[in-house]
Amino acid sequence: MSYDLKLKEMNDSKKQNIDEVVLMKGNEAIAHAAVRCGCDGYFGYPITPQSEIMETLMELEPWNTTGMVVLQVESETSSINMVYGAAGCGKKSMTSSSSPGVSLMQEGISYIACGELPCLIVNVMRGGPGLGTIQPSQADYFQSVKGGGHGDYKLITLAPASVQEMADFTVLGFDLAFKYNTPALLLADGVIGQMMEKVVLPPFQPRLTDEEIAKRSPWATVGKPATRKPNIITTLSLEAEEMETINLRLQAKYREIEKNEVLFEEYDCEDAEYLVVAFGTSARVSQKAVEMARAEGIKAGLLRPITLYPFPTNAISNYADKVKGILTVEMSAGQMVEDVRLAVNGRVPVEFYGRLGGIVPSPDEVLNALKTKLV
Amino acid sequence: MKEEIIIAGFGGQGVLSMGKILAYSGLMQGQEVSWMPSYGPEQRGGTANVTVILSDERISSPVLNSYDTAIVLNQPSLDKFESKVKPGGTLIFDSNGFHRFPTRTDINIYQIDAIEYAYANDTTKTFNMIILGGLLKVRPIVLIENVLKGLKKSLPERHHHLIPMNEKAIQTGMELIKKLN
Repeated sequence: MSYDLKLKEMNDSKKQNIDEVVLMKGNEAIAHAAVRCGCDGYFGYPITPQSEIMETLMELEPWNTTGMVVLQVESETSSINMVYGAAGCGKKSMTSSSSPGVSLMQEGISYIACGELPCLIVNVMRGGPGLGTIQPSQADYFQSVKGGGHGDYKLITLAPASVQEMADFTVLGFDLAFKYNTPALLLADGVIGQMMEKVVLPPFQPRLTDEEIAKRSPWATVGKPATRKPNIITTLSLEAEEMETINLRLQAKYREIEKNEVLFEEYDCEDAEYLVVAFGTSARVSQKAVEMARAEGIKAGLLRPITLYPFPTNAISNYADKVKGILTVEMSAGQMVEDVRLAVNGRVPVEFYGRLGGIVPSPDEVLNALKTKLV
Repeated sequence: MKEEIIIAGFGGQGVLSMGKILAYSGLMQGQEVSWMPSYGPEQRGGTANVTVILSDERISSPVLNSYDTAIVLNQPSLDKFESKVKPGGTLIFDSNGFHRFPTRTDINIYQIDAIEYAYANDTTKTFNMIILGGLLKVRPIVLIENVLKGLKKSLPERHHHLIPMNEKAIQTGMELIKKLN
């Protein structure tokens, strides 16, 4: 499925009424969208380049309007575990951070995935490894889609490439998390977080009442009535057979997600002889490189994975017989390129171009890489 | 129409706000806009810059390697961005504190000594709007009425009484700017 109908509908239904169009940073858009989609709680610890998410929430004071809780906690370990607790109660809860902070959360994320609890985690990536730099990066791809924490789990991973998508994917991330009872990750980078673009914010949805939560999420620990057994959320099963059963259930869920939820966008791909694959900011830069290539008569196209997990493997695989070569562009040493290579399985050359440690490649560089490596 | 602009200067000069006002003005005339700041450590007392793109079509990359127009408000910014103006493009600078002036001959170079004017006339708070006025004189990419509409939309209501002061600063900038080549 190409750019999903659901997203199309979201975009079409937006009247481009100038009064509804606002200019804001990607980080601010996440905060507004969270309040509007009926989020119950945000728990976070500030870190550049995403501090505006909590700052905006604090300015909006949603505890006075929707009743949403916004809490600055003492560390990322606390924030993810507060999300774990809130999610266990069936609440729509989220946290946000940037790369080093998200590393701290990995244990909790693994627990939430095993506990089969819905929540939204936002990672506005910055350069690493280590404390790194505050400039934009995409080097947390492996951590995000290959399981940064322990055990066999997957995170639904959405990669926005615009401020509008920061708002839309906050809503979509929660929707998918609750559809599958699994954590969703919104994987952005410093550029998308810090830049301002036009955005139409999603409509207001009320927060669910406790009764509505108990009905929607019968597993939630909301207080036991006499009519049912206690709901217990745990990730510990000392019997290996029991743990294998849990794992098989998780895997079955991941196969469903892989079947139903793949999202990607194609640009100038119909007659493309060379395919560029990039997500997030790299996709924006690569789109310009594709425009420049076309102006020079090079038939290039761009495929932008929107869900990094589930990865658009089939969509990329289909190009193996159509194009002469594929260039993957990332702000990393080359991580997603491995999944692109797996998708085409040696049927077409896959080259890589990337910048590291917080440097954003320029459209010129990408065009040059396309020419020297493939054309 | 598509205009790719870099505005660069010292942190605190209002570089980012000026870019924001420009972006809002584009928004008010129905254009696609992007505003991408340098948010690195250089902001703290060093150089700050912002890339603003106004376009009639969907904007691909918010990050650019060359610009139609560069506005440079200190020496390091001139040194960094003079070479990145597209041939035939526009460079606007405030010469305050400069020891090296622009040397390119294939671009249009304008000088606007807004810092000196703002200090002499006690209008330092609207300094960046003087620069914006200069830009709009030589590159009329947005209508002044849309700048004012943009200000109205972006400023909280309690600051709306400052809009006429900003309008005056734009007029001043239009008078101050002069072509060098």
